[in-house]
Amino acid sequence: MIKNYLKIAWRNLWKGRVFNLMNITGLAVAVACCTLIFLTVYYEFSYDNFHEKLDSIYQVYNVANRPKGVEKSSSMPTPMAAALKAEYPAVKYITRSGNTGGVVTYGNQKINEDIHFVDPDFLKMFTFPLVQGSSNAALSQLNSAVITEEAAKKIFGNKSALNQTLLINIENREQPFLVTGVVKQYPANSSITFDVLLRFEHFPQYNADKDSWGNRTHMVFAEFNEGYDPAIFTQQIKPFVNKYYAEDLKNLKRDGAKPDANGNIFSLALAPFADNHFNNDIGIVEGNGISKTYPISLVVIGCFILLIACINFINLSVARGFTRAREVGVRKTLGAGKWQLLAQFWVETILVCLASTIIGLLLCTLLIKQFKAIFKSKISLGMLLEPAHLTGIILMFLAVTAIAGFYPALMMVRYKTVAVLKGKISGGKPGKLRNTLLVIQFTLSTLLIICTIITWQQISFLSNKPLGYNKTEVLSIPVDQGTRGADALRLMRNELRNNASVVSVSGAYMNFGRGNDGSSRRSVLGFIYNDREVRTHLQSVDYDYVKTLDIKLLEGREFDPNFKGDSTGIIINESMARELGGKNLVGTFLPMLDGKPKAQIIGVVKNFNFESLHDDIAPLTLTMLKDFEINYIFVKVKPGNLVGAYDNIKSSWHRLYPNATFLASWLNENTERQYLSERRLSGIFVSGAVLAIIISCIGLLAISIMMVIQRNKEIGIRKVLGANVFGIVMMLSQDFLKLVLVAAILSFPVAWWVMSHWLQSFAYRVDIHWWVFALSTALALILAFVTISFQSIRAAIANPVKSLRSE
Amino acid sequence: MIKITNLEKFYRTEEVETVALNKLNLEINTGEFVAIMGPSGCGKSTLLNILGLLDDPDGGSYLFNGTEVAHFNERKRADLRKHNIGFVFQSFNLIDELTVFENVELPLIYTGVNSADRKQRVEEVLTKMQIMHRRNHYPQQLSGGQQQRVAIARAVVNKPKLILADEPTGNLDSSNGNEVMELLTDLNEQGTTIIMVTHSEHDARYSHRIVRLLDGHTVVENIMM
Repeated sequence: MIKNYLKIAWRNLWKGRVFNLMNITGLAVAVACCTLIFLTVYYEFSYDNFHEKLDSIYQVYNVANRPKGVEKSSSMPTPMAAALKAEYPAVKYITRSGNTGGVVTYGNQKINEDIHFVDPDFLKMFTFPLVQGSSNAALSQLNSAVITEEAAKKIFGNKSALNQTLLINIENREQPFLVTGVVKQYPANSSITFDVLLRFEHFPQYNADKDSWGNRTHMVFAEFNEGYDPAIFTQQIKPFVNKYYAEDLKNLKRDGAKPDANGNIFSLALAPFADNHFNNDIGIVEGNGISKTYPISLVVIGCFILLIACINFINLSVARGFTRAREVGVRKTLGAGKWQLLAQFWVETILVCLASTIIGLLLCTLLIKQFKAIFKSKISLGMLLEPAHLTGIILMFLAVTAIAGFYPALMMVRYKTVAVLKGKISGGKPGKLRNTLLVIQFTLSTLLIICTIITWQQISFLSNKPLGYNKTEVLSIPVDQGTRGADALRLMRNELRNNASVVSVSGAYMNFGRGNDGSSRRSVLGFIYNDREVRTHLQSVDYDYVKTLDIKLLEGREFDPNFKGDSTGIIINESMARELGGKNLVGTFLPMLDGKPKAQIIGVVKNFNFESLHDDIAPLTLTMLKDFEINYIFVKVKPGNLVGAYDNIKSSWHRLYPNATFLASWLNENTERQYLSERRLSGIFVSGAVLAIIISCIGLLAISIMMVIQRNKEIGIRKVLGANVFGIVMMLSQDFLKLVLVAAILSFPVAWWVMSHWLQSFAYRVDIHWWVFALSTALALILAFVTISFQSIRAAIANPVKSLRSE
Repeated sequence: MIKITNLEKFYRTEEVETVALNKLNLEINTGEFVAIMGPSGCGKSTLLNILGLLDDPDGGSYLFNGTEVAHFNERKRADLRKHNIGFVFQSFNLIDELTVFENVELPLIYTGVNSADRKQRVEEVLTKMQIMHRRNHYPQQLSGGQQQRVAIARAVVNKPKLILADEPTGNLDSSNGNEVMELLTDLNEQGTTIIMVTHSEHDARYSHRIVRLLDGHTVVENIMM
């Protein structure tokens, strides 16, 4: 029986090869794209799942209900971890965690490494097994260093790393450390990444901060006893907060903070480490978390594309079913049972799906490289062989076979035997189902077109919006680890003094956007002014900062070496001026730092976007405080020969630091890098929209071919009666175009809702214009019309005698 | 073999109800060769479809070998059909995707005959219909007469007790038509009951009895000598 089914299925598929090829193409593309997408999503959700005690590890963060809104922060004060472990018995292990880069010296070689500063509990909580040394003893000494297998290989080659001494430069001080452990190289889906683990006591500023509850510099992770319910943490920890955060509570109350539903104005809370990869809500987290929007949009688009391909399948099978009605009738008279017929048609579906799946997977292997590049995905085809993924592919295959194959088969089986034998069904009516499915396809396609246009508009807006500083002619040079920034700046100033293309040179603690060094810093300070807490971002700068960056000075002047007092002065932005509540602020003294003289405002600058356009411009204070390192050197060059200027500056840098890498980038490159995730999302939308439209049009093309076959005689009669080509093309197209129009209109509210939601995450955003909807609709209509025209024009110009003679 | 009593069938559209069979009574004995004649629209094909269990009657009784089958469900009807009834159509209704051999084999597949027996029986019947040499051809490669012989081969391969033929010569020229009628007569002589719908007085003369229908009921029955 099966052999018979297969034989007949093959002959039928061959007979309808044009349609089946379209079917297979559409499905194969969908399978390829879904496989890549679902692997990526699986990978994103697999982050950190190798930690055995993942479910009992939490990150501590605080929630301050400030008058202007809720503010969450995961930066913790240095004494907090120890106090929490001592006073809250549910905590089993606790560790602080902070990281910086550092230069590791061994023998003659110096290597830049990623250093994590943690407490000894770290190795007991997280699953980083040691291949050399023991987890319990590895961080027991202050001078212990634990390194990864990769770092060991890089530093020591094939030599044993254990008990070797390394020199590590932290904050420009070189100290010896003893390697007491080597951890197995962690997988790529680890949020926590490091080359070297050192005791937290070596974290920069540790000694200054070790008793301070006010300075918050690092993350804290805790593992709780088994069966602990994290929901009770915030309420149970209240006495602890009252005891240690009295200052915060007092200030918040004074500033008019509004208590939350539980009556807290300042509280500690727990974020599960299992969600760490998607946690971008609480401030600093381990690794580069991503927004859940990203995998969710991927899944949605993957499902859309699969659905669209399945719809093609259903529509084509149903349409072809009409031509096979007689066969069904004959088989029924010969005694075929319902299930026998269902099985026969299903075998055909399975063959088509199987071919599509195989071709789809082959396509995957061809496309994976480009896919990984575009979507920054870390998947590999080897992942496909994992049992979970094999099961997934089989399930996807079965789902497609069931969805796409069952309905058409059922429909054919239901034909009334007598009617089909009389040829009553083969005429074929358009059918509500076909129309509904076409509408669904084009709703999804138009939706993706609209999303594409709007993300693209927003991204181009982000790139082109003036930010209030010169981003095209200013080069930002990250200062190497192990080099004092202030020295580097002084040397570069001298070096570039006679360089004709250089306009001015300055330096600062924070960069603009994201530089080639990949780090980002921010420093927020609160102080009491006129009996109220004022919070401001703090940027430590050097002379000529305002001039180098072309920031507009509104009042006063910029830091000037000729004025002695300027090194203790500050320059504020408009937002800060507003926060301080006044005009004519130049000359005012602010009590900004405890234990330091009041700082005098010497200038006010126009607001500029020192952070990404996701955020409004916050109050900002520029200082020349020496407490903050100069991490970036800014060089403004003359417009024109930017490439030449770059090379010039590069060779100057290498003259000063022959061994240091030159990681300089123009500021507009840095600001662009802030919107990588937006670009990625837009990439997803574009690819999704293109695929959705292509697959929908393949389906539409096949349906129009079928329709022309079915209406061949009608077309002939109309021509004989005097219809012209245009009239016939319009007649054949208009039913479909109406459906596409309905589909487009249905997509509007969804598109509007989704995109306005997305745009909410930007403080600066484009408006959604009506013409975007009109344009998308027009695009969908034109594409649909062109697709149908292939067939309808051919049918319309054909000789009517031919179609009529066949009767 | 067949006894129908007060058989009724209506066709309804939104505005009109057409009576196709109007309290029709008819009895057909085993081994008979009956021709059903009448003008277009008199209910001949409807009757044949009901007799072949392809369609339900709206009223009356249909006894097949003494069993009431008028209200059998789809499964039971399919079962009865495949074991007892063979069909021959005016337009042959062969499946284009299957070869001659496979078309004839199909009813045996549906009745679950094993592969070796199938081969033997199909070859037997193809030889009898003198079409064996065309066994690997597809229907569109055959002449009309050959196609109808294949269709008859398919109808008889299961050794049905009853053959229902709907204008079996309608699409054939007279010499091919006569050949088909000879084949049916042979089958009848070997014991198969045959009911044939036809417009042709010539063909009707091959039968034992002519049932003439008008507006859904029997007007006259001629016994052939």
